Amino acid sequence: MKLLKQLKYSLLKVIDLSGLTFLAPIVRLCYGEEPKVQLQKIGQWILVPIAGVCAFLFLWHITSGSIQTKSGTLPNPVETWQGYNAIDTQAEREGLKKTSYELVGEERDQMLADAEDRLAEVKVQVAETNAAVTAAKEAVDAQTKELIAPLDKEYKELKSQYKAASKARKAVLVTDADSLKAGNVAEYNAYYEKVEESVVKTAQEKEELSILKKKIDKIREIKSPEVAKALLEQTFAAEEAQYLSKQIELLSDRNRAVQVETATGMISTYNEEFLSLTGKAAYDKARSIAKAKERLSKMESSSYAQPATIWYQVKRSIFCVFTGFIIGTAIAVPIGILCGLNSTFMAAMTPFIAIFKPVSPIVWLPIALIIVSGLIPDPDNNPLMLFLWDLPLIGEYKINPAFIASAVTVALCSLWATLANTALGVASIDKDHMNVARVLKLGFFARLFKIVIPSALPLIFAGLRISLGVGWMVLIAAELLSSSEGIGKFVWDQFNNGASDSLAKMMVVVFLVGIIGLILDRIMIVFQRMVTFEGSVSV
Amino acid sequence: MKAHTLKQHVGSLSLAAGMAMTSFVAAEQLDVEKSELKFGFIKLTDCAPIVIAKEKGFFEDEGLQVDVVAQPNWKTLLDNVISGDLDGAHMLSGQPLAATIGFGTKAHIITAFTMDLNGNGITVSNNIWEQMQANDEKLDSDTPPHPITADSLKPIVEEKLEDGEKLQMGMVFPTSTHNYELRYWLAAAGINPGMYTKSDVGGRTDAQVELSVTPPPMMPATLESGNIQGYCVGEPWNQQAVSKGIGVPVTTNYDIWKNNPEKVFGVSKSWADENPQTYLAVTKALIRAGKWLDAADESGKLVNREEAARILSRSDYVGADYDVIKNSMTGYFYFQKTDKREMPEFNVFFKDHATYPWYSDGIWFLTQMRRWGQISEPKSKDWYYETAKSVYKPEVYLAAAKLLLEDGHVEKAEIPWDADGFKAPTKDFIDGVEYNGKEPIKYLNSHTIGNKDPEA
Amino acid sequence: MNDILQINNASVSFGPPSNRTDVLKDLQLSVKENEFVAVIGFSGAGKSTLMNLLSGLQQPSSGEVLYKGESIKEPGPDLGMMFQNYSLLPWLSVLDNVKLAIGAVEPKISKSELDEKAHHYVKMVKLDHAFDKKPHELSGGMRQRASLARTLSLDPEVLLLDEPLSALDALTRSELQDQILNIWEKDKRTVVMITNDVDEAVLMADRIVPLTMGPGATLAEEFEVNMARPRDRHTLNDHPEFMRLKSEITKFMMGLNKESKELAADIIPMPKVEPKSFAPPVLSPTFKQNPVSRKGNNNVA
Repeated sequence: MKLLKQLKYSLLKVIDLSGLTFLAPIVRLCYGEEPKVQLQKIGQWILVPIAGVCAFLFLWHITSGSIQTKSGTLPNPVETWQGYNAIDTQAEREGLKKTSYELVGEERDQMLADAEDRLAEVKVQVAETNAAVTAAKEAVDAQTKELIAPLDKEYKELKSQYKAASKARKAVLVTDADSLKAGNVAEYNAYYEKVEESVVKTAQEKEELSILKKKIDKIREIKSPEVAKALLEQTFAAEEAQYLSKQIELLSDRNRAVQVETATGMISTYNEEFLSLTGKAAYDKARSIAKAKERLSKMESSSYAQPATIWYQVKRSIFCVFTGFIIGTAIAVPIGILCGLNSTFMAAMTPFIAIFKPVSPIVWLPIALIIVSGLIPDPDNNPLMLFLWDLPLIGEYKINPAFIASAVTVALCSLWATLANTALGVASIDKDHMNVARVLKLGFFARLFKIVIPSALPLIFAGLRISLGVGWMVLIAAELLSSSEGIGKFVWDQFNNGASDSLAKMMVVVFLVGIIGLILDRIMIVFQRMVTFEGSVSV
Repeated sequence: MKAHTLKQHVGSLSLAAGMAMTSFVAAEQLDVEKSELKFGFIKLTDCAPIVIAKEKGFFEDEGLQVDVVAQPNWKTLLDNVISGDLDGAHMLSGQPLAATIGFGTKAHIITAFTMDLNGNGITVSNNIWEQMQANDEKLDSDTPPHPITADSLKPIVEEKLEDGEKLQMGMVFPTSTHNYELRYWLAAAGINPGMYTKSDVGGRTDAQVELSVTPPPMMPATLESGNIQGYCVGEPWNQQAVSKGIGVPVTTNYDIWKNNPEKVFGVSKSWADENPQTYLAVTKALIRAGKWLDAADESGKLVNREEAARILSRSDYVGADYDVIKNSMTGYFYFQKTDKREMPEFNVFFKDHATYPWYSDGIWFLTQMRRWGQISEPKSKDWYYETAKSVYKPEVYLAAAKLLLEDGHVEKAEIPWDADGFKAPTKDFIDGVEYNGKEPIKYLNSHTIGNKDPEA
Repeated sequence: MNDILQINNASVSFGPPSNRTDVLKDLQLSVKENEFVAVIGFSGAGKSTLMNLLSGLQQPSSGEVLYKGESIKEPGPDLGMMFQNYSLLPWLSVLDNVKLAIGAVEPKISKSELDEKAHHYVKMVKLDHAFDKKPHELSGGMRQRASLARTLSLDPEVLLLDEPLSALDALTRSELQDQILNIWEKDKRTVVMITNDVDEAVLMADRIVPLTMGPGATLAEEFEVNMARPRDRHTLNDHPEFMRLKSEITKFMMGLNKESKELAADIIPMPKVEPKSFAPPVLSPTFKQNPVSRKGNNNVA
């Protein structure tokens, strides 16, 4: 019983610390504490937001269809979800290709058999969907033709009619001009009016034709949902077929183990041949064997060149934002402390802070990129890069100049909040606490680490939280520009693709970025709460 | 697929079964210095040779594991090649030359492989198209006769100039084929597209039509927003304009200069010096990819293009809709929704010795750089030769081709073994002016608009 | 016996020379070793400034403040100051607050010794049940005790108590008074305590020094408390000496108050206009300033 109660309090404490206070009523309800109040709170803080989300989804669903762009309508929630599935499927397939490349033994045989079976099925689907697309297109074409035919006929008739009319008018007017008597102003004016009238008339006719033409074009532009659906299914099937044939290759001929075995076999054949050779031929053979062995060892350690998948990009983005965040913090906190401690230093720094603070990431990035690539001209042979690539965990993210430039941009754009808050926190340290330090005769560093920093920590962390939020926003833009592998690059690639599902995929990124940003913020709130003490200055 | 070999692998792996696959683990594999490579590309269908070499396993056959990464724009792509972040990349033909002579970023970039011929189009907005039709009755049809020159555009330009405006057009990069082609097309009709000078790196001095740089994928959107009235770009961005109904492609670069080299595979000189065997292996794989792309049956139908279009439509490659990519890749081009034409040579990836790095192609770009002032000083004939030779590396190409010939991957007639690097003089330009790569200065002087140099 | 603390003619003033205001003027005080001196005064008289002078947190504008015959240049652990508002570090627990003080005085102390010593002082003020509590989890009295424990842990020669009990309720207050007296009696040392409570002063001190009303406050004539120790608060009210002292001091203090009020009434009230300051906030101690400056009311005694 006591244990249960303790659990309740620790649960509530965790909830409070993490700021997930909407969960507290559930815990309390489980313990039967004022069920009515708790239910009311649950209604307010859980059900209402859920209802809000539902309402949003509903509104989104019904309005998206009416927002027409030249790239199609705005994707609705279902299409966005399909976009997510497409992204995820691609990531999964790339992972499976890598596995296939490395797989050995019975597992490989099994997977190969499965893939072949599946391919046979999918091939049927491909044929079906191809037929469906053709049929749908033909149907739509016929329909469009039918709709357009009368309009087109009218257009053509009108056009030739107007053309002829215009020509005739011109001819009449030209003949009329022959009979003009020089000097007779009235006559000339009358003639001019006739010409003007004719010009206006021609313009009117042109306008009429153009309206008709636009009508025809509009019919042509109508996108048939049947065709779109057929195309989507065709793409599904064709992409799977393509993936499967590649996977089968990777499971068979291009499988690493298979290639290694073949090479080993070849070397042993060479060895046999070598034993019966003399002279230059023997030398050549020996050399071939040596080279083949070298290739073999390379082959054994080779890995499948896996393209960046969305999840890898997400991880790399998070890693990048933290790298930049740490760089920014390492700069901002010491400078902030100095600013807070010494008003002269603050006065010296103020102009720089004021000027650099509003600079956009779009400006910092190219500069950072040029400087970083200038410092690391040849990443493949740069000792720092090689060192970073060999590190466990970090090595996987292939830190390159674009990554560093993005991280530096994040740092440059995000450090200001931390700097300002640190300076404020240090400057607003309680006078009494400083007096304590004086009475205790604490040295500079003891004073700094025992009094100043702990006292400023709540504000520093409030600044860090803002910084991380800013950094996350900036990073996406920075990656987009530097083409550093990450979420930003994913968005840019999708935009560049301009395919019919690109918009849906970009919408997925909206949620992805939002959710990750939310999680980062939550993490910072926990830290912030952990260092906050009663009576500390808060923002 | 090779069903018989697959079956064998499903069973136990005997040595004999292994021996059946020598085509994959070729004894002829080169001793590559670097086996894991990263190549960059821009989302255009002409990146196909790199993507195909990867997807069809031609790189793997050379013992290479290649990562293919989309780049946001040509400048970043070039910077990444120079910085070593990329081992090589899909480049505009003018890019290695410009980098080597120091127009823009300076770095010695070389190429041993031309990725494709043709493949660009000039698109104008619907409004301009209507005016062009009004100016030239022949155009006022669902299927107007080709080639369409800029003659019918000239009155529009002049009218705008009288109103104190300049027609705005987009191209993708100052040293891109698009820039030179668009300029050529305009100048052929007597429209001055503007000169580059030392102080005007935007190339707008004396311009009657102002050209600005816009990344290819942004072209349709920029046209739609009215910031530009036309553009010159590669596929699928012309077809995109048609399918979205925002513009009309008026001509392709096939008409401007028949079989012009569009993209090359560029690497930095230092990379090539450090990794000569790797470079050779990469070139081998690319030649095979080109050949695969241009494979045709007896009737001349390109048999692999649909598969290529499907691969390219993957979102980590070109990513546009399959339907859009398929058009140009399978030899069709929509000039309007009502005007679908067969253009089997819209993209040429291999035939007619397309992949060979011709000096004369490089020199043409150099003449255009001089013509429009990107090269500010007059240069001698020898300078043109020397520069082309320092960038174009047919010797690497031929070495790779020789290895492929030994392996049986190419046939003797497919490679110009004895070429001296210069194509025969041709008049296949929209204005009919003859181009002879051996006489760059003479060629320069045969144009009305643009810089002219004294013959040394 | 030598005077351990001595104030000679010290004054504290601020403002530009043309318009100088004295907070404290012509202070004279000497404190003998192991003596318990109470300074009594009204709020705003400058009691805390006086304490700052004694602790070395503030230097006199003129005159001198001596500790063992030497001028006090800076604060230090020998002059153990216990602040009016506790000044505990809110991010540290009671024990850690004490440990910080001990660690500062004895940097070379071992970890176990530090622990033991800190526990000792916390127990001394009867806070052993709240070792791990943070200051905000404590009541006012407990905080004051924690603050006392910290000050004691410095093992100071002189204990400077700045209104240690003024913020507490009556019960807690008497309890703490007893504790302070207990500790003082057990472990004799010099104490200077500031208070505004006459009863408290008489109960605890050997000598009571009144501080006149500010500005220009000074120390008036002192009252000797000739009562045997330990003094029992329950019977105190019956003690004639206590009654006498209490009434005398109260009368004296009331007189001060009246005088100052009369003086204030003579003066035409001025509108409270202060120039707006554009200077950044100064972090050094500032003084509450009476906007009306008066001259010639120094010689109150």
